[in-house]
Amino acid sequence: MADLLEPMKRDVRAQPGTGRNGGLIRRFSLYANTQAGFATLLILPALTVIFAVVFFPLVYSIWLSLAEVDLLDTSGPTLNLFGFNLPLYKFIGFGNYRDIVGDPLYWGALGRTVFFVAAFVVEATVIGLAMALILNSEFFGRPILRAALLIPWSMSRVVVGLLWLGMLSADFGALNAILSRLGLIDHYISFFQNGFSALNVLVLVYVWNQAPFATVLFLAGLQSIPKDLYAAAEVDGAGFWRKLWHVTLPSLRPMMFLVLVLSTVNGFLMLDLIFVMTFGGPGNDTTTVSWLGYVTAFNFFQFGPGTAILFTLTLICVVLTVVYQRLILAKFQAE
Amino acid sequence: MSVQAVPYRQPVLTRIISACGIYVLAALVAIWLIGPFLWLFITSISYQRDLLALPTPLIPVNPTLENYGKILGLVEFNHADQARLVIASLGNSFIVAMAVTLINIVFGSAAGYAYARHRSRLMSLSLYLVLFTRMLPVVVLIPALFLMLRQLGLQNSLTGLTIAYCSFTFPFTIWIMKSYFETIPRELEESGLVDGCTRFQVFCRLIVPISGPGFVAAGAFTFVLSWNEFLVAQVLNSKRGMTTLPPAIAGMLGQANLDYSIIAASGFLSALPAAVLALLFQRYMVQGLTAGSVKG
Repeated sequence: MADLLEPMKRDVRAQPGTGRNGGLIRRFSLYANTQAGFATLLILPALTVIFAVVFFPLVYSIWLSLAEVDLLDTSGPTLNLFGFNLPLYKFIGFGNYRDIVGDPLYWGALGRTVFFVAAFVVEATVIGLAMALILNSEFFGRPILRAALLIPWSMSRVVVGLLWLGMLSADFGALNAILSRLGLIDHYISFFQNGFSALNVLVLVYVWNQAPFATVLFLAGLQSIPKDLYAAAEVDGAGFWRKLWHVTLPSLRPMMFLVLVLSTVNGFLMLDLIFVMTFGGPGNDTTTVSWLGYVTAFNFFQFGPGTAILFTLTLICVVLTVVYQRLILAKFQAE
Repeated sequence: MSVQAVPYRQPVLTRIISACGIYVLAALVAIWLIGPFLWLFITSISYQRDLLALPTPLIPVNPTLENYGKILGLVEFNHADQARLVIASLGNSFIVAMAVTLINIVFGSAAGYAYARHRSRLMSLSLYLVLFTRMLPVVVLIPALFLMLRQLGLQNSLTGLTIAYCSFTFPFTIWIMKSYFETIPRELEESGLVDGCTRFQVFCRLIVPISGPGFVAAGAFTFVLSWNEFLVAQVLNSKRGMTTLPPAIAGMLGQANLDYSIIAASGFLSALPAAVLALLFQRYMVQGLTAGSVKG
């Protein structure tokens, strides 16, 4: 590549440009035609956008979590940026974080979150793997079923929640209708009345929405396992379970790790289903940390404590992300 | 295939049982995946009073399109104003999702191309930052975005929402496009440069025309993400009629006097475009999913 650039570099020295303006444009177009220059110009717009809508808001959010935010008070110090003023509010250090740690509601929410994440990760992995194993075997209609995998994933979580409210309704739910027809129940169950049951319903619905993603990853992993391994295992007299344990699962280890990390992060962050299905109730029985942060910030408009709660979650996710990134980058360098 | 001549064959009976077994399992998967979606459709074409009969009919007794008529403003009823929001929100959703997709395709693919072809310290550092943003929870940015857009006067506007959506779509587009461009052989660009094209011309005339699949993968993916997004829209565009479809549906669920069947019809309308896109571009979506290894 480097030798291709040589004539252009010589060009710059040979022709300094006629007019001042012409020189600038010419220099720019020459710069744009070098490999490094062209690459820089291509990433510049995207990086500007990412800086403006991710990195700056991130820093500002961290600041908000360390401040006493009163949304109606505009008299405090401001940060002037290109002609518009961003309120900075009153800096109070780690006060918000201290308040959270002293709040029993936070610890209760953390406990529920840990339960939710654990149940979700286990169920999503097991169901995702089971679906992948089924969809990896030969049968008539497999392409249709593989396409159907994308249906739960392609829906907005609001619609996912709406749909399961309909499935589980105590008045007209399909699940109640089927169970009572089979004679398994005498009267319709209301799944959201009991706090623990409501939390488990949320797990189940989120698994319905997310397990197909695990299946897609597992299917990609399954297709790369050489058939010889199974043939060899069969010669040795291995049945289904032994093949699964000794051939399939070890080969899927990288994918398994990916699924576990991703579903853990997703589990910690889930909150739109809570908005649609339970609103944190009954009582506080489905209030997870993410929901607590959301309600504090946007229902009670306490931005300081709200963002602080959300940042305790972010910390967990960032740690997991570092692990995850090692994984992705390792894969990316191997290619 | 070194072990081609496998001497062991399963007994006939075992094979028949396992053949039946796989269909039973496949049927279970089909019910699990499609059943709930089907129930949404069934409730959306039923009258609420029929749904409330006991035992609940699993097949609609009087199929009707009245619920769709109600939300599209074709059938008058009490509380029609609440259902009327659906049309406006549908339009808003479409505009925002299209705008976000276009911006992503143009700038995201440019950046993806640069990352696929050029390595330097600056490039790998910024790529690391892009990767980092991919796993950053969007919800933590919402308070800051809310105050920033309020100060800019872009709260409750589609422009503001489009800008905010770039925060979680850009990293995916860049990553998907980067993976795609890496599959194109470098010789193509080298021959273009030798023939006297500038790098910009090489990108526009040689690379872009053969990158259709990459654009489809990234575009369909971005569209579905923005179409389905709920939290950001709920917080930033809280004004009536300025929001997208997911917050509008969530709002309808909070109205005690709206029938479930009407909300189900809105839900089905919201699910349809994304489902069609996902099925149409299934292969590309799966590529996007695996390449972009998604959160959320």
